Amino acid sequence: MAKTYDYLFKLLLIGDSGVGKTSILFRFSEDAFNISFISTIGIDFKIRTIDLDGKKVKLQIWDTAGQERFRTITTAYYRGSMGIMLVYDVTNEKSFENIKNWIRNIEENASADVEKMILGNKCDLDAKRQVSKEQGEKLAIEYQIKFVETSAKDSLNVEYAFYTLARDIKAKMEKKQEASNPPGNRSGVHTLNDTDRKRQPTSWLARCSVL
Amino acid sequence: MSEFENTDKTGDSQSELIEDGCNKLVVKCKYCGSKILDKKLGKFIMQEKELPLMQQDTRKEGEIQNEKVDQFYHVENMFTFENIGFTHTVDCYKYLSCADCDAGPVGYYDMNTKHSYVALSRIEHA
Ligand SMILES: Nc1nc2c(ncn2[C@@H]2O[C@H](COP(=O)(O)OP(=O)(O)OP(=O)(O)O)[C@@H](O)[C@H]2O)c(=O)[nH]1
Ligand SMILES: [Mg+2]
Ligand SMILES: [Zn+2]
Repeated sequence: MAKTYDYLFKLLLIGDSGVGKTSILFRFSEDAFNISFISTIGIDFKIRTIDLDGKKVKLQIWDTAGQERFRTITTAYYRGSMGIMLVYDVTNEKSFENIKNWIRNIEENASADVEKMILGNKCDLDAKRQVSKEQGEKLAIEYQIKFVETSAKDSLNVEYAFYTLARDIKAKMEKKQEASNPPGNRSGVHTLNDTDRKRQPTSWLARCSVL
Repeated sequence: MSEFENTDKTGDSQSELIEDGCNKLVVKCKYCGSKILDKKLGKFIMQEKELPLMQQDTRKEGEIQNEKVDQFYHVENMFTFENIGFTHTVDCYKYLSCADCDAGPVGYYDMNTKHSYVALSRIEHA
């Protein structure tokens, strides 16, 4: 069957236990007498389709299991993931301090060009806050990673965060494609003009002589 | 409960829903309308399967209440779905849920074949 999308990005939610990773992925509310079979078993991952500048992008978003700590998350865990959401809880200072450990773990185990974003979750709990927004921003600048405060409870900024991360991955990929594929060579978009036609064999020959 | 009514509605109106062996209409979540599968991307098949009810009665502790379902859309590649959730694995299966409101199971995923099956009775056509 023909491919029904332009890009497929695997994303991972990472962070200390209790920061709200599962809540960011899962929204079900239930009443007193009925419990959803789905919430009993739990969600492993979700597939979402979004539109980015006219391109159909599939996001496969993975939760990480509750007991996992950065010491135990290794290469196998990160395999294939192109984006990572680093989540801390604004009402839990320890989870914020641990973001540095998570980043180190990613640097040691994930692919070097994985795109990252920091989420300060539970920003609806202002009275219990232990980490200010400024602290979050400062950390993000230090590591040159994008940052936003979220509330999984109120669905605040969650969608925005996924769009932002996906857009950054797409931009990085397109840049790479352009670098490995000189403008005249791109399929579909570009029709050859005379100079291109003359240039093409030369660049092809140039590449051959390198081999 | 409405779970038990109307489940066979699809039997009579199959020709309105199926075209060339596939779903003629968009498959959406019954509860929130989230788009699950685009037109013509699921192959209609008949097979009898036990599927856990979407609402489990907590007063019947420790047992999972199932019902028999026999009409499905077969989807070979999981990335064909528009929006969908996959549960953790239970006995070689993952269950499918709405990506927006988490209602489910709307079907299941077979870990051995890596194929997905969406129950017609658990979704809405639009
Ligand atoms: N007020 C508020 N509570 C939240 C928010 N996000 C999560 N919670 C609550 O925080 C608790 C922990 O959330 P989880 O989503 O289970 O946390 P987790 O990161 O998945 O934890 P582990 O699975 O143990 O790693 C739950 O009681 C949630 O209801 C939020 O944005 N606001
Ligand atoms: Mg969790
Ligand atoms: Zn839904």
